[in-house]
Amino acid sequence: MIGTALDIMRKVTPPRAVFIDHPVGRPFGRPHDRARNEAVLTRALAELPNFTSSGEIRDPHFQWQPDGGRVWEKELREEMLSARGE
Amino acid sequence: MALEYLPIMAQSGAPKPPRILVSPSKPSWCSVIKPVQQSRVALLTSAALRLAVQQPFTPKEDLTYRLVPSDPNAGEIVIDHHSGIGRVPKQDPEIVFPRTALAALARKGTIGEVSPFHVSFMGGLRRHTEIENDLAPAIAAELQRAQVDLALLVPY
Repeated sequence: MIGTALDIMRKVTPPRAVFIDHPVGRPFGRPHDRARNEAVLTRALAELPNFTSSGEIRDPHFQWQPDGGRVWEKELREEMLSARGE
Repeated sequence: MALEYLPIMAQSGAPKPPRILVSPSKPSWCSVIKPVQQSRVALLTSAALRLAVQQPFTPKEDLTYRLVPSDPNAGEIVIDHHSGIGRVPKQDPEIVFPRTALAALARKGTIGEVSPFHVSFMGGLRRHTEIENDLAPAIAAELQRAQVDLALLVPY
C-alpha cells in the first residue's frame, strides 16, 4: 500500500505500507508533475524488500512543501470540510 | 507529525456515525516471490475510476470493480468516487493512479513489466464482510489469472 493517511494506515494493518506525507488525494504529487509521480513510485517500490511483518509502515520522508512547512494541512482541512454533503 | 485525518473525516461526515475501520480477519501477509525487477506489477485503486467508456460506478455502496487497461494511452480516465478531496485528482488522475509512471519504470527496468490491466473499485464502503468475502477474492482471482506478482494498493 502507498498511503497518505498515517492514522488510518496504523489502524488497518496492511501487510506492507509506505507512508507518503502528502495531502490525501495527492499521493504521487501535484497535477501533471510526472517526475514526482515517478520518484514516489520508485521510492515506495524500493522499500519492498525491507518489510518483515504485517502492519509495518515505512516512511521515505517525502515533503509536500520543499521547506518542510505544513501550511497545506490547514488548506486541506478547509477543503475537506467545505465539501461536506457532496 | 503527520496530519490526523480521522477527526476531520468524522467532522465532515457528520451527522453520519464515524467511519468504522476494519483490519482483515485473515492473515494478509504473503512472501515476495520475485525481485521487483522481475515482477509483473498492477495498481489497485479505491478511487472508483474507470475509462470514460466503461460502466460508471453509481451507488455509494457499489461493490463492483473495473479492469482498467494499463496503457496510459488507452483512453480518458474518469473518477466516480464521491470524496470531497476529488477536485484535485480529477484534474490529473495520475496523482492517484500513476499508470504513466509505472510504464516508465517498466521501460527503465525498475520493475519487470506492467500488468495488462489495473483494478479499480469504490473506496469508503461500509459493507466490510462483502468486501472481504466477495470483492477482494474476485479481484485476487483476476490478478492471479493475469499472473501478477505484485499488486500495489493506492487508497483514495
